[in-house]
Amino acid sequence: MSQTRILNGPHLRTVRTTQKIMFHVALALVPALLGAVYFFGIRALYLTGLSVAVCVLTEYLWQKLTKKQVTVGDFSAVVTGMLLAFNMPVTAPAWIVVVTSVFSILVVKQMFGGIGNNFANPALMGRLLAMVVWPGAVMQYVAPRTLAADAVSSATVLGAVKTGSEAGYSYLQMFLGETPGALGETSKLLLLAGFGYLCYLGIVNAEAALTYIATVLVLTFVFGPAGLFTGDILLNLFGGGLIIGACFMLTDYAFVTRRGRLLYALTAGVITAGIRIFSIYPEGICFGILTANCLAGGLSLLQKKHIYGTKKGGAAV
Amino acid sequence: MQKRGKPAFPGGVHPTDGADKALSMDAAVRQFWPDTVTILSEQSFGGKCRLLVEPGDSVREGQLIGEPEAFMAAPLHASVTGRVLAVKEVRNQGRSLLACIVQREEEHLEPEADYRKEAADLSALSKEEIRKGLRDGGLTGMGGAGFPTHKKYETDKRIDALLINGAECEPFLTCDYRLMLEEGEALVNGVRLLLKGAGADKAYICIEDNKPKAAENLRRILEEALRSGRMKEEERVEVRVLPTKYPQGGERQLVQAVLGREVPMGGLPADAGVIISNVGTARAAADMLLGGMPLTRRIVTVTGCVKEPGNYLVPVGTSAKELVELCGGVTVKNNRVIAGGPMTGPCAASDWDGESELFYVTKNTSGILVLPDSAWEEQPCIRCGACEGVCPAGLTPYKIDIAFLNEDYDLCEKLYASECIACGSCSYICPARRELSVRTRMARDTVKQRMRERAVKKA
Repeated sequence: MSQTRILNGPHLRTVRTTQKIMFHVALALVPALLGAVYFFGIRALYLTGLSVAVCVLTEYLWQKLTKKQVTVGDFSAVVTGMLLAFNMPVTAPAWIVVVTSVFSILVVKQMFGGIGNNFANPALMGRLLAMVVWPGAVMQYVAPRTLAADAVSSATVLGAVKTGSEAGYSYLQMFLGETPGALGETSKLLLLAGFGYLCYLGIVNAEAALTYIATVLVLTFVFGPAGLFTGDILLNLFGGGLIIGACFMLTDYAFVTRRGRLLYALTAGVITAGIRIFSIYPEGICFGILTANCLAGGLSLLQKKHIYGTKKGGAAV
Repeated sequence: MQKRGKPAFPGGVHPTDGADKALSMDAAVRQFWPDTVTILSEQSFGGKCRLLVEPGDSVREGQLIGEPEAFMAAPLHASVTGRVLAVKEVRNQGRSLLACIVQREEEHLEPEADYRKEAADLSALSKEEIRKGLRDGGLTGMGGAGFPTHKKYETDKRIDALLINGAECEPFLTCDYRLMLEEGEALVNGVRLLLKGAGADKAYICIEDNKPKAAENLRRILEEALRSGRMKEEERVEVRVLPTKYPQGGERQLVQAVLGREVPMGGLPADAGVIISNVGTARAAADMLLGGMPLTRRIVTVTGCVKEPGNYLVPVGTSAKELVELCGGVTVKNNRVIAGGPMTGPCAASDWDGESELFYVTKNTSGILVLPDSAWEEQPCIRCGACEGVCPAGLTPYKIDIAFLNEDYDLCEKLYASECIACGSCSYICPARRELSVRTRMARDTVKQRMRERAVKKA
């Protein structure tokens, strides 16, 4: 598509563009990135920079080579790159970060038609790939360097509890981010700060995120490890990737009605909770959100829409 | 957000912060009588008239000079007293239209009239006389598409409510606001005439809450009218203040916001028991039925990037170029001149040099707006759903857009593209700058054409 001068109205346009939205999302992730550097060292910055660079370059080259409209300036590849790195432990080998970045952008995003047309969150699909192919390398978590001078191998809080051990960290440590885990997911405080910024700007709607969190917390509490109503709410909330998932990865739009949004978040929540309760995986965020991504098309049919002037709601198509 | 239970229309946008209207809001209406006027034989799209005069003829202000030839047409009158210089084709917004060019030879004398100062006694006028006056006066809608007013009122449907549209939801425009402030008495008399002509139970003068002075003025005038006894108790007129939200003044949205009902799909407001007329049309009704003057002039807002924005009462056929000159000319070189408001008005020229003719004022020209020219590149849709959220008709513009680009007109029809009201909210809100409004409107026209073809085949 070329630069076209459309002289049809409306002649006023909102100042908010795709580029600005994505820029603000990237900006909202910066506090968590700084937190990651504080807790895990400068390698956190290196991995994130690498991932972002590869994502952006892959998108640019693909669009150039296939002679498509170059949209790489819209910051969406930057956001994907940041989220992808945030999902890796600081010990992850650089080459794995490179491969998953290329996979996320090339296979999940561009091959399905680029921004807006990807059926699932590219960063989460990248994480899924890494988890399946190199589980040893990408689930090798270490304790924050603020607690141990050397990188001590350590299970995540949720991982430890899953295998029957003690959590070993206080709720405050979990909230601040002083726990083993993936780069960007540990500091709930900094993630929430970024999310608050996006809510303040009106870029995201907190309804879906809150529904998702509430669903997971209620279900994991009710079906707790020691019987009904024995789940640890704060552990589930702060112990893993629930916050980053809800705030930065679930938010796939396209659900205009409240009913649609809530249904989508509920689906993701039920699956996440199900995995936490019944499977060997401690987290379930990735699966929950990706499943909801895939079901989004079907779920959107359940939205009740009213077309002006029609007797009943128009059929959702 | 609207409170629950209160009628309102869903969706809509807030395109500006009010600074746009502030440009011309406090500029009192000034009269401008140009030396020549170019009266188009087609005052609104599809409203073709047969011109009755020839070059050299003398015409008087208000004299009939055009007979309707099409369904969308209303009688056409000379807007100045003078001599016909030419009857010829002129270019107007990309089309060639036959026009009557009149040289003005006499000063306009504004007659002193009581109906412009106080409530008139309407008991002598019957419903039929009022409807005849609406036709003979050449009244049309003055805010939107310029639909002939008498055609709305000559309905056999039961009408219970009359909505007088003073919402003026388009940014920048202030002509209706000034009218409500300065010509409130004539306006209220016009509303009462239209109420009687419609045979409705009640009239609602609808105003957005960014114009509190207008609402206050009309309320005061209504109170005085009742106190005078010339306005009867059974003439029920209410000033209804509505939230400022575009497109509050959209016909269908107004019905929904004020009365809590909807115009049925494919129908007219009359099918919901409602007639809607612009405040300008109401004032024109008073001018015709109480002052004997057909619709030959209107208030036009000239605003945006001009030196001195203002509101001008001008005869139909005034050159837009002359009006912009009157306001000191344009202040930006890379500009875009719009006929009407920024949301729905067509672009008459871009990078206008101030030399060439722009267009000629018609009965439904509400404004001349100069904006800095802007260009943007369409980006891929990111499925954010913003367009769906703001569409007052409840459509899903991004889906219609994709279906239309794929030439899947069956899908366009299933997505109710036919119900697009062309308000432009979807294009306004789209962060990917997609021309959703343009293409949804094209999809609407295609779908409607297909529906008509099917209907013909069936018959």
